[in-house]
Amino acid sequence: VRLCRCRCRALLSRPAGAVRERRGLAAGPEMHFGFQTVTEEERREKIYQVFENVAKKYDVMNDSMTLGIHRVWKDILMHKMNPCPGTLLLDVAGGTGDIAFRFINYVRSVRQRQLQRKLKHHQNLSWQEIFESYQKNKFNSLGDSQVVVCDINREMLKVGKQKAQHLGYSEGLSWVLGNAEELPFDDDKFDVYTIAFGIRNVTRIDLALQEAYRVLKPGGRFLCLEFSHVSNPLLSRLYDLYSFQVIPVLGEVIAGDWRSYQYLVESIRQFPPQEELKAMIEDAGFFKVDYENLNFGIVAIHSGFKL
Amino acid sequence: VRSQQHPPVRALQASAVLRRASDEHKKEPLTSSSQQHFDSPPAGHQPEQEPQGPHPSYTGQGGQESEDYESEEQLQHRILTAALEFVPEHGWTAEAIAEGAKTLGLSVAAAGMFHSDGSELVLHFVSECNTKLSKLLEKEQKLVQLGEAEKKPIDDFLRDAVEARLRMLIPYIEKWPQALSVLLLPRNIPSSLNLLTSMIDDIWHYAGDQSTDFNWYTRRAVLTGIYNTTELVMMQDSSPGFEDTWRFLENRVADAMTMSNTASQVQSTGAAVVQGLMGAAVTVSNLREQN
Repeated sequence: VRLCRCRCRALLSRPAGAVRERRGLAAGPEMHFGFQTVTEEERREKIYQVFENVAKKYDVMNDSMTLGIHRVWKDILMHKMNPCPGTLLLDVAGGTGDIAFRFINYVRSVRQRQLQRKLKHHQNLSWQEIFESYQKNKFNSLGDSQVVVCDINREMLKVGKQKAQHLGYSEGLSWVLGNAEELPFDDDKFDVYTIAFGIRNVTRIDLALQEAYRVLKPGGRFLCLEFSHVSNPLLSRLYDLYSFQVIPVLGEVIAGDWRSYQYLVESIRQFPPQEELKAMIEDAGFFKVDYENLNFGIVAIHSGFKL
Repeated sequence: VRSQQHPPVRALQASAVLRRASDEHKKEPLTSSSQQHFDSPPAGHQPEQEPQGPHPSYTGQGGQESEDYESEEQLQHRILTAALEFVPEHGWTAEAIAEGAKTLGLSVAAAGMFHSDGSELVLHFVSECNTKLSKLLEKEQKLVQLGEAEKKPIDDFLRDAVEARLRMLIPYIEKWPQALSVLLLPRNIPSSLNLLTSMIDDIWHYAGDQSTDFNWYTRRAVLTGIYNTTELVMMQDSSPGFEDTWRFLENRVADAMTMSNTASQVQSTGAAVVQGLMGAAVTVSNLREQN
């Protein structure tokens, strides 16, 4: 781990331009994989392998690494989105389906409230009408909302599908294998595009953002939940300590895979900070781009609109 | 630094929705985004939120064209205006805003640009009503100046102005209590107070008030009181055509007039009393001197 820290310091001491190149914006073949330097193709392959290895223990590891706080982060993301029934959501790098399930729950409860309000207005219904309204409820509990979970990794999708079956989610949910840099969808399709803890693993972030812009409807929203930069120095040191000392060990003990979690922690350090990501999102054509720091910057939610 | 590296990208990816002001009369701009890429002028769109001014590389031909593009604020105004027609059904909520966005051809996710409690919708509506009132009062003033109408006495003028303003609430009267509660949220109090005071100011201005002394404050306080109480009465009024409300308003305005008359009477009486006392004191001192 100390070796990695030295490499970290060495990277940081390089001029800003070179570091920006490493952050996936350069056309050159040299890229970063954690703190290593690899080519674009190698990076894609390595990341695929990382997630192939961790897929089965992904959720368990999330809980133990973040002490369960990742659930709160994802809930906050859902509240920020505040989707109404009839929304089409595309969850990219959605792997095991956390965001998708939360979306379905949220929309279902909003729909319930809507139907209750409608019924309150309709006094003096005949029994036939009441019966019919209950029938309609059964077939429209989601109000035509749909979520498409797209992931590049087959193993993660498999785990997600199993989870959905286990938890009883079937309606309004689809699973698609696809690459965030080249989405297999038409233009102007989706109301909301989310990418939770996934954009860090995309090799060409600018391409992913352009694809996001392409598949969103006019007025659609881009939401990105991702680990980000902690500016508070004391907290930053504690966070580094926890990241580099504790997480890889947890990875070894729980998932039997120290390297993958080493990669994970390093990739967080390599990811652009809040302002830079905001600039990249603006460059892709989004308007009203803003970010909200959670937990002092450990995690940030970036939001933009296709206007 | 960023802008110098990427101006061409911004130029090509012109907005899919924010449209030129000149296009407002043409059909809705629902062209696909790929078409936009090639149709947009080379200068592209300058959104107001970018901290830097127009990039030097554009201003050559783009300087004038870029100003024709609608800003985000204008788009937000359009969405809120469209959302107003859904308020009687959905209330002052994000749902109404989402429906409004749908009618403009935008995704329902555009409602995410606003707060989820509908604050912006209410504030937008109040500000629109105030603007309408100002225009109405200005028109009336012009008629008076041209000699086509008579100048109304002050109590009639105030009554008519307040009634006109309150009538604008009638289509939304069922959900207005909800709007009032939104306006009273701590976050919104500065803006709502601002809107209220500027409206009262406007009415007094067109009523011909040119006071520069303490009267300025008392007049505004009195009219604010009249307006607020009449609004609350209107919430609970179930009489046909709100006649109870207008009668209440008439009484309050009459009270205010009486009060101001009384106040000036008190003042003059006070002055008279003081003079009388002074006179008595002088007389007494003269009598004492004589003795």
